[in-house]
Amino acid sequence: MLNIDNLHAGYGTGEVLGGVSLTVPEGALVALIGPNGAGKTTTMRAISGLLKPTRGEVRLDGTPVQGLAASRIARLGLSHAPEGRKVFAPLSVEDNLLLGAYGRLPLFAGFRKKGTASLDRVYGLFPRLGERRRQAAGTLSGGEQQMLAIGRALMAEPKVMLMDEPSMGLAPVIVEEVFATVRRLREGGITLLLVEQMARRALEVADYAYVMERGRIVLEGKPADLQKDERVLHAYLGD
Amino acid sequence: MLKRLLLILGAEILVLAVLASVPLMVDNSFVLGLLTLLAIYGILLIGLDVTVGYLGQVNLAQAAFLGLGAYAAGLAVTRFGTGMVPALAAAAAVGCLFGGVLAFPALRLEGPQFALSTLSFMALTTTALNELESITGGAQGLQVPRPPLAGLVLEAKGFYWLCLLVLVIVWLAMSNLLSSQWGRAFEALRDSPIATDAMGIGTHRHKAVAFTLGSGLGGLAGGLYAFNFQFLQPQVFVYELMVILLLGVVLGGRKSLWGALVGAAIIVLLPNLLSNRVLFQLFSGIGFLLALVAGIRGIVRKSTGPFRALAPVIAMGLLTAGGMVISNTEDWRKAIFALMLFAVMVGLPEGLMGFASRFLTRLFRIESCPLPEPSRLDAVLPVKETGSGSLLDIRELRLHFGGVRAVDGVTMTVRRGSVHGLIGPNGSGKSTLVNVVSGLYAPTSGDIELHGKPLPRGSLFRTARMGISRTFQNLQIFSELTALDNVMVAMKGICSTPLPLVLLGLARGTERRIQTDALALLEMVGLGTEACTPSRDLPHGSQRFLEIARALARRPDLLILDEPAAGLAPPDVARLLEVIRGIHGRGMTIILIEHHMDVVSRLCDIVTVLDYGKVIAEGKPDDVKRNPAVVKAYLGGADGPGEPGLVSACEAAPASS
Amino acid sequence: MNEAVIAQMVASGALMGMVYALVAYGFQLTYATSKSINFGQGELVMVSAFICLTLTNLGLPYWLMVPAGLLCGALLGLFVERAAVRLALEQQSEGWILMTIILGLLFFSAAENIWGRDDRPFPTPIPADPIRVFGISVTPVELSVAIGVLCIMALIELFKRKTLLGRAFEAVAADRDAAELMGISATGTVMLSYGISGMVAALAGILVAPITTVGPTMASALVLKAFSVAVVAGLDSGFGVVVVGLVLGALESLTSYYVGSGWREAPGLVLLILALAVRPAGVFGKAAIRKV
Repeated sequence: MLNIDNLHAGYGTGEVLGGVSLTVPEGALVALIGPNGAGKTTTMRAISGLLKPTRGEVRLDGTPVQGLAASRIARLGLSHAPEGRKVFAPLSVEDNLLLGAYGRLPLFAGFRKKGTASLDRVYGLFPRLGERRRQAAGTLSGGEQQMLAIGRALMAEPKVMLMDEPSMGLAPVIVEEVFATVRRLREGGITLLLVEQMARRALEVADYAYVMERGRIVLEGKPADLQKDERVLHAYLGD
Repeated sequence: MLKRLLLILGAEILVLAVLASVPLMVDNSFVLGLLTLLAIYGILLIGLDVTVGYLGQVNLAQAAFLGLGAYAAGLAVTRFGTGMVPALAAAAAVGCLFGGVLAFPALRLEGPQFALSTLSFMALTTTALNELESITGGAQGLQVPRPPLAGLVLEAKGFYWLCLLVLVIVWLAMSNLLSSQWGRAFEALRDSPIATDAMGIGTHRHKAVAFTLGSGLGGLAGGLYAFNFQFLQPQVFVYELMVILLLGVVLGGRKSLWGALVGAAIIVLLPNLLSNRVLFQLFSGIGFLLALVAGIRGIVRKSTGPFRALAPVIAMGLLTAGGMVISNTEDWRKAIFALMLFAVMVGLPEGLMGFASRFLTRLFRIESCPLPEPSRLDAVLPVKETGSGSLLDIRELRLHFGGVRAVDGVTMTVRRGSVHGLIGPNGSGKSTLVNVVSGLYAPTSGDIELHGKPLPRGSLFRTARMGISRTFQNLQIFSELTALDNVMVAMKGICSTPLPLVLLGLARGTERRIQTDALALLEMVGLGTEACTPSRDLPHGSQRFLEIARALARRPDLLILDEPAAGLAPPDVARLLEVIRGIHGRGMTIILIEHHMDVVSRLCDIVTVLDYGKVIAEGKPDDVKRNPAVVKAYLGGADGPGEPGLVSACEAAPASS
Repeated sequence: MNEAVIAQMVASGALMGMVYALVAYGFQLTYATSKSINFGQGELVMVSAFICLTLTNLGLPYWLMVPAGLLCGALLGLFVERAAVRLALEQQSEGWILMTIILGLLFFSAAENIWGRDDRPFPTPIPADPIRVFGISVTPVELSVAIGVLCIMALIELFKRKTLLGRAFEAVAADRDAAELMGISATGTVMLSYGISGMVAALAGILVAPITTVGPTMASALVLKAFSVAVVAGLDSGFGVVVVGLVLGALESLTSYYVGSGWREAPGLVLLILALAVRPAGVFGKAAIRKV
């Protein structure tokens, strides 16, 4: 469903990604792990279009999308729940969710009605959001904002979803909840690329994983194999 | 090096000679009038260029300072009967005064707010000049007789030479200023006010000086203006004039004295160009062709986007077409300026002089950046005696923003002469902690002491002056300056010559020493050969090293390095290790935030680990790495409680954020 | 001092202040999505008014002229965005300040030459005879200005609250990247905001022209005061803009009476400088947490 081939990207004069290649098959949950500064978030941004790659290809369901504006890529079926959540703080929870379906809903009258089915599904998944639907997103707790970011990305009914460091800055109890959600999504058959700093957690839920270091993929494989691999530890904590 | 100096000096002397001798050769009062105006506008635009070119702000008040200076000079003569020199001094003083007054509210502003503030001042001045009839004569105007200069009555020629003399003096003084630490400081604060403060250069102070200087020059030009026309009316000093002045500065070339002169020439000659239809058509046609050629080149080479390539062509095309169709070009003056300014802003943002200087440097193959030998490193960065004892004490430091406990009760001691590592997963508060210590944020509670004395809070500038220097996780280099200038500017805090001496050109010795010292630092980090490269053209890795060299310029007591290895390729990481070892070897105390564990293990004497804003471990790098709490924090195990260290980590973490 | 006279003055001034509020709306719209404003907005008001005048002279009835004028205003707004603003936004520079100033100058000069420098009367179907409201004599035209501003305010608030597009505007202002990820084109939104801002400028021109008459300088003073209103009132406060506009208008009338008609402009200008000095972050940017 999602194919990344020899992706190079950077900011200004420096190159951060030096040829990243990975594949996310339909219905699979693929993890991208690695230490901080490895380029995981840069990879996500290059895929979703917030950053223009300098070389390489990104294919979404067969269609090349590298170089397109992020809003176009989103409308083609790629959803990205970004690092740091980035919910629209002054808008209500419900508005945030509705905007997630921007590409699908009419702009003027009737968008609430049309969006109801999707909204119900998201509220079903995250009842707490349903309770707070009129609350301003900026007043939610970190965990709730993460749920909102995920819910917002789901509203678009995407072909592929990117999730960037959902556990960041969250207390361990909340992180449990987040990963429980990820597990439920996986059961629902979603195609998901998950970036996580918490390697063990990510490996527990993934079907396949890639390890990144310094802008390149250095290791890949099934989680069971990687979990036993000393090299993963090394990638994070040096020797 | 000599070649460059001779060429520039030669050009300056040549132009001066030509200008000075014109009245002797040509007996045409019209030409004389134009040249006088050229000198006056030259002074005015040099003043404007300080804010527009060096500070990079849109200053819409310069015409107001022109008016205020003009009226001040006029009144000095009509009310107080002073001579030429005191009148001009009064004009300059009034310009400075009002500039200083406006700088006060405008100081903290950037971009559109600054432009609005100056625009408002402009309008207010026009109103005041119109309304205060008893003083200014209001809309009727004010007759201003030309006062004698030390007893000598000045006719047209004499007055012209006076204007030229004033221009030369201003030129020399500003040339000294802008090529000195002051000029660099002005540019630095445009590129990164945060880094400027962090290098101990007060941004407000320098902005105020720049603005006041510019307005003082505006006032001075106003005085000469008054004595040139000998009649003043408030209707002259309005917004339209201001836009024309901006046109001059942008078209001539920002950040350049020559640019200001060329711009002044264009402003002065423009009305004449416009009244002669054939000449106008010729010039606009040439402009159109140039824009077309540049545009096509840009598209073919893919060096500019389609808009940047085509817009100037369309603008110049309109101008040319207009010139052929419209007979009363004079009336369309403003539109013509607007189209020219548009074409230049989009197509030639560096202005004519910017373009010309690049062209001429290539033509004459001038070495654009002559370099002396660097100083000895010991002189620049003397070895500190390693004392013992703590240098920095942090006690129960907290920073809460809006419910997020970014730093939650951190207590840490940094020992003199040590390399103290600070690590932790993403979002653990390392950078935030260091931002509080360096003064970017004021803490919510807790104490920080350097050498036993409490540190100023929430002020990068004052903290820097206490002896703390830092690099930034998101680079804050002065991108428009060369690598050498980046380091030189940081030295302004420690060896600064008083402004009057700089203006008089007496600071060259210090300048040279600063340059050689800065070179020594660049060599130390391996950037000696890149000294003349504009820092934005340096590769990312080199920019990181540049920040380190710059931070060392102030000979700090404590150096904070915030992820210096981020984005570095392995050979650069190796070089980084050497550089940091070298700095440490000179007795420097360093706080190092890093994710690269190899860097941390090899360099740090002691490591503090943060997670969720709290300290979860502290010790030697190898011990800390094996600490299960640390491993868990990084890798996020699903292990249950029961392992030593894990329980404390779980329970210590705050509840929902 | 006759209270009735003062009340009269204050009321007239306040109504004029509503026009400042209207133009200030235009600024809020574009600032909301792009943190940029059109420094040549006054010229947009003026050119729209002239175009409407021409349309009327060509025989178009008033009730057709208004929408046509609004359309022209929108087109002009889009032109400003494309020519002056987009490049600077892409480069993340503030070049749009000078560029919008330049465009304003261009429009001014074109207007001066196409329509001449004299002030011309602007047609309006609204009768000129003043009516008395609460003991104050007010012309229906002035009332129409007030009604126009309130209608626009209501429409814009409605747009913001009731349409998805309005929500998208706020989203782009809150977080441009995240909005892009939702499929909201930030560039498209900016274009739209400039288009609407141009339309608002045209409306301001149509409403105020009967009072000030149409001339090249009709809006130059207006725009500075609109800036004051926008700065003092705050970015997203639609209501605040109206209140500040009223207060400023009243203040100007009083100043004109007590100090001198030439000083009329002063309160707005002084207020602007003071507001910027005291609350620089006020309108043009919330004090953002600096990320280094």
